[in-house]
Amino acid sequence: MGGVKPLVVASALHKAFPTSRTLRQILRGQRPVVHAVDGVDLALAPGQSVGLVGESGSGKTTMGRLLLKLTEPTSGTITFGGERMATLSGNRLRRFRQQAQLVFQNPFDAINPRFNVRRTVAEPLVNTGVPRAEHAARIEEALRRVHLGDPARWLDKVPRELSGGQLQRVVLARALVVRPVFLVADEPVSMLDVSVRAGILNLMRELRAELGLTALYISHDLTLVRYVCERTLVMYLGKIVEDGPTDAVVTEPGHPYTRALIQAVPRPRTDQSRAELPISGGLGDPVNPPSGCRLRDRCPHAFARCKEQEPPLREIAPGHLAACHLHG
Amino acid sequence: MTALLDVSGLVVTYRTARGVARAVDGVDLVVPHGAMLGLVGESGCGKTTLARALMGVLPGNARIAAGRVVLDGTDLVALSPTARRDKLWREVSFVPQSAMNSLDPVYRLRSQLREVLVGRGGLSRAEADVRADTLFRAVGLNPDRLADYPHQFSGGMRQRAAIALALALSPKLVIADEPVTALDVIVQRQVLDTFRRLGEGMRVATVFVTHDISVVAYLCSLVAVMYAGRIVEYGPADDVLARPAHPYTMGLMNAFPDLVGPEQTLAPIQGSPPDLHDPPPGCRFAPRCPFAFDLCRESDPARTTISEGHDAACHLALDAPALRARAAMAETWI
Repeated sequence: MGGVKPLVVASALHKAFPTSRTLRQILRGQRPVVHAVDGVDLALAPGQSVGLVGESGSGKTTMGRLLLKLTEPTSGTITFGGERMATLSGNRLRRFRQQAQLVFQNPFDAINPRFNVRRTVAEPLVNTGVPRAEHAARIEEALRRVHLGDPARWLDKVPRELSGGQLQRVVLARALVVRPVFLVADEPVSMLDVSVRAGILNLMRELRAELGLTALYISHDLTLVRYVCERTLVMYLGKIVEDGPTDAVVTEPGHPYTRALIQAVPRPRTDQSRAELPISGGLGDPVNPPSGCRLRDRCPHAFARCKEQEPPLREIAPGHLAACHLHG
Repeated sequence: MTALLDVSGLVVTYRTARGVARAVDGVDLVVPHGAMLGLVGESGCGKTTLARALMGVLPGNARIAAGRVVLDGTDLVALSPTARRDKLWREVSFVPQSAMNSLDPVYRLRSQLREVLVGRGGLSRAEADVRADTLFRAVGLNPDRLADYPHQFSGGMRQRAAIALALALSPKLVIADEPVTALDVIVQRQVLDTFRRLGEGMRVATVFVTHDISVVAYLCSLVAVMYAGRIVEYGPADDVLARPAHPYTMGLMNAFPDLVGPEQTLAPIQGSPPDLHDPPPGCRFAPRCPFAFDLCRESDPARTTISEGHDAACHLALDAPALRARAAMAETWI
């Protein structure tokens, strides 16, 4: 990270959720938990666009919620701009809420269907106490930013009068209106139609270039992440298993799981590999994850050490880490 | 050999509060025996309505206003409802986006398969159980899992169980509506491979509805591109995806990033599909087409053959190579 102070730092982050119990477990007083995030260390440099990739159940959404203080960690710490997040309260918490914003997956769920665009985008301004006099200018700035130029045309529209793509732009504008420094977008385009998607992806690229936002894009889709993010993290059963520059992760993946994720993505051309994936089955059991490396029961390369010892994240090339015993 | 499915001039209308929408408006579509056809397009282009019309399960406010759906020599539209239902039951089956729409949560998989095989297929219980084992193996599931309930399956296994159920009566045609859209990539790949085996091993024809060009490229031998209620391009997947002839297909291809390969800039198609209550005159894609000229706004282009089995409904279809070069540049689409 070359001496630049990271904006967000997570250390030894854990988050466990209780799961439903069987009668036997209740009688024995057992309280099984799912370790959604299980020992994550992470530092995001200011201005970095980072993709967090993984299958459903890998813990990526929980990770995003932790970094936004929408849920509290079971253990471990997060600092934001050097401040410990757990101790934020009062004005400092309010300030954090303004600086860190979330973009939801489904624009239809994210906004009140009865609010027009003006009121939707103004809401965070009201919540963060921006003086009323500034609202109109700030709303206009945010709408232009997401290419809803000619704001007069949009301000009085209600969600049902907008297309999916326009609505997702409004959702983005609402996040940007308070001039955040940190943005978490959870599957920001997975609900959108093909051509609309391309437009939103281009917009996210532009935001990265122009605003210098630190952004975490959570997605199961490596293709999206490659398009928008300079750095990619791969998560598997609560752990980060690979971390590196996106191009290196995509072209020279260091972890067998990443390799399978890449190989599994169909390509828009008929002459592509249809070879069987090296990794089979579904995600392992998050309540009782395998000992050692969590991928070992699905991994074609697994050997004795994978069962005994958990592989740490090791540098396999400058700035490129992978947690696999094959590299050490 | 005649095609398994031959749809001609199919029109499906919806009666809505705002009038009549022609969601499928003059579709001609041929599906050969054993073919894997990908039906692609944006939301609102009529893909699902077409699939439902083929299945004979249109919603109450929709009706087939014109056209023929000839399945294996019989026009389904002309049949009585009872005769149609009977033929569809035996020869066509459906795989929905969410497997839970075809699986019953309170029955074990074995009894769900038994219900179809005994009740509809006329098999004995013992025969049905043997067949259920075979079906589970065919979709890559362990027959031991027949004793399980759907909730004990993961998403991908459920989707494969739904495919097994769809294959129970040895249909000639399977219609699958976005069956992998909700799945994670690794699981998606496993389900796609299950479909691939249907085409290769069992010679079941499939109409695979999707918005994802990459899925079509991976899986399908034929592609039909649908826009505003019509088929605008049709042909072998190799040919259509490598040499698209309709600007809409070119636009869709540009809007899809490729994970591997050189860094590219995506070019979205501006605007959205037209309101089918009142589609534009001439070519329906003209308002969004970067190559549109006067003729396009006046006259509706017919499907023009470009090469063997490949056609496109565009006035400029024969200039496609020149258009492709221009379409490849992001500026063209601004």
